[in-house]
Amino acid sequence: MIKIAVYGKGGIGKSTTVANAAAALAEKGLRVMQIGCDPKADSTVLLRGKDQPTVLDLVRSGRDFSLDDMVSIGFGGVICVEAGGPTPGSGCAGRGIIAALEKLAEKGAYEEYKPDVVFYDVLGDVVCGGFSMPMRQGYADRVFIITSGENMAIHAAANIAMAIDGFKNRGYASLGGIILNRRDVAREDEKVAELCSDIGSGLVGVLSHSNTVAQAEELGKTVIEAFPQSDMAKQYRDLADSLMKICGVSEDA
Amino acid sequence: MSNLKNQTAAFISTYASDTSGVCSALYELGGMTIMHDASGCNSTYNTHDEPRWYDFDSYVFISALTEMEAIMGDDGKLISDIVSAAKELKPKFVAVAGTPIPMMTGFDFKAIANEIERQTGLPAFGFDTNGMHTYVSGAAKAFRAVADRFITDKLGKTSGLSVNLLGATPLDFSVNSSLQSAKELLTENGIETVSCLAMGSDLSEIRRASSARVNLVLSYSGLDAAKLLQKRFGTPYVVGRPCGAFGKRLMADIKAADRTGKNAVGFAGSSEGDILIIGEGVFAGSLAAAIREETGRKAFFASATEFDDGLFGEADVIARDEAELRPLIGKSRVLIADPLYKPLCRGMGIRFVPMPHEGFSGRIFRKDIPDLTRSIAPLLEQL
Repeated sequence: MIKIAVYGKGGIGKSTTVANAAAALAEKGLRVMQIGCDPKADSTVLLRGKDQPTVLDLVRSGRDFSLDDMVSIGFGGVICVEAGGPTPGSGCAGRGIIAALEKLAEKGAYEEYKPDVVFYDVLGDVVCGGFSMPMRQGYADRVFIITSGENMAIHAAANIAMAIDGFKNRGYASLGGIILNRRDVAREDEKVAELCSDIGSGLVGVLSHSNTVAQAEELGKTVIEAFPQSDMAKQYRDLADSLMKICGVSEDA
Repeated sequence: MSNLKNQTAAFISTYASDTSGVCSALYELGGMTIMHDASGCNSTYNTHDEPRWYDFDSYVFISALTEMEAIMGDDGKLISDIVSAAKELKPKFVAVAGTPIPMMTGFDFKAIANEIERQTGLPAFGFDTNGMHTYVSGAAKAFRAVADRFITDKLGKTSGLSVNLLGATPLDFSVNSSLQSAKELLTENGIETVSCLAMGSDLSEIRRASSARVNLVLSYSGLDAAKLLQKRFGTPYVVGRPCGAFGKRLMADIKAADRTGKNAVGFAGSSEGDILIIGEGVFAGSLAAAIREETGRKAFFASATEFDDGLFGEADVIARDEAELRPLIGKSRVLIADPLYKPLCRGMGIRFVPMPHEGFSGRIFRKDIPDLTRSIAPLLEQL
C-alpha cells in the first residue's frame, strides 16, 4: 500500500490535483482511497458528486455507524473519505483530523478496502500537531508539496519542508518532491527551482494553468472524467505516474 | 441534554485516570515515567493513586508543561529534559504518559519515544493516555507494552504447573495482603508464580514470563498482555481473581487451561439477581461468582471501568455513570461497592455493603480494604 500526503498553501489546487491523480490511477486499475483532511470536507467532491457525511459528523452523532457509512465510492471506484471538523469558529480542527484518522484506522478502513494507494489531502500548511498527523508513522510514507511561483505559496512550501525535516528522527514520512501548479507568474520556474534547491528536493511534476480545469470543476468532475482526451488529463496522468515511480512502483506493476 | 444526562456524576466520584494507571503499572520496574502535564498535577497521582509513594522509590516525574510550551509545541525541551535526566539516573526504560493538554495539542507520544530511545539508547514508550479514561485503560497499555518489549525470548516451559500474574496494581489490590495471599494459594495448589506484572517482580523476572504454562489475568488491565503472550508463545490464559470459594474454581481452571491449552473465564454465567457488585470488572465478577458459590444467592456485577462484554454473564453489564447505574441498583436488594457509591442508594431501600477500592476512593478507606482471597466470610455477614 502506497500512502501519500499532499500539502501546500490554501487554494493552491491540492484537492483538484489529488482528485485528478486519484482518478488517473483508478483508470489504470489501481484501488485508490482519497482522504480529505479539511473541515470544509470538499476534497473528494469532484470524484463523488454527491453529499457525504464526514467521519467527525458520524462520531459526533453519537450513534453506531459502520465503515461503509464513512465512505462513498466515486469515479473509477475511488474510495472517498472526508475527515470533517468542528463547528466553524469553535473546537480544534487539528485535533479533529487526529480523531478522524484514528477512527478510520480503528474501524479497519485500510484492511477492509485494501487500497493500493491512499492519498491524504491536507488543509494548507502544517500549522499544528493535528495537521502533521497524516505524515506520522503508520500514515503517509511520502509527502508531496504543491506550489506555484507565487511568493506566499513558496513560503508555505518552505515551511512544510522545514516541518518534515524537523520530524526526520521521529519516523515520519519523507519529502517526495515538489509539484508545480502553474499560475503563470513572473520567474515561476526559476523561483520553484530555487525552492527545490533550498530544501534539497526535486520537481516531480508540472501542471499548466489551464481553463480546462475550471471547466471540469464547473461540471463537478475531474478533468480525467470530463475531458479524458485533453492535454490537461495527460498532465495529470503523467503526474500520477511520476508519484508512483517515486514511491517505488514501476510502470509495469 | 441527552449526552449530559449520560455523563453525570452528581453523587459519585471518578476513578483514577489512565495516566495514573500507566504510572502505577510501571512503578516497580525500574524505569522512569514522565507524566506530560502542568506542574502540580503529579500530586493527584502521588497523593491519591499511589500508596507505595513513601515506601518504595521510583522515578516518576511531571514534565511541568507550561502554557507557552503547550501553545508553541516545544517538544524539544521535553525531549532534552528527559534525555538529560535519563543519562543521570540510568533507568531501565523511559515512559512518557499523556494527559488532557497534550491530547489537545496533538502530541505524538510514539514519535517522541522514538527520539528519546534514539538519544538515550534506552527502551522508550509513549502512551497516548489523556485523563479521560480510567486507570484500567492506562495500566492495560503499559502492561501490553512491557510484555511486547521485554517478554520476547521463547524459554522452555517450567516442568511443573506455573503462571504469570497479569494486571496487578495497588489501584486494584491496594497494599494489603491480598496479592500475597493469591500467590500463597497458588503455591499450595502446586502452581509456581514465575512473575507478576507488575507488583513484586523486577524486569529480570518478567523477562522469564514465557516459561510460565498459563497466564492468570487478575484484572482487566492484564488481558491485552495475556492475549499478546498467547499469540507470541501459545500460553493460554485464565481470567479471574482468587476470592473465597471462587479461588478453588480458579485453580481448577488453571489446571484445565494447562491441559487443554484453552482460555477460561471462570466467573461468567451469572444471572440478574438480588446482589449487585460495582467495581473493576474482573474483581467484581470474581466476587459475584464467590457469593453465588457460597450462598446460592443470585449475584451479578457492573464493571464501572473498561471491560470486554465477551467476559460477561448474561446479566452483567458495563455501567460507567449514574444514569446507567441507578436502574441496576433499583432492581437489587443489596449493593456491594466502594463507600463513595453509597449516595446512589439514597431512598432506594436497599442494603449497602462497603467494599473500598483504591482506584476509586484512593487512600480514604484504605485501612478497611479487606483481603478476600481466602475467605469472604466477613463480607457475607453483612449481606
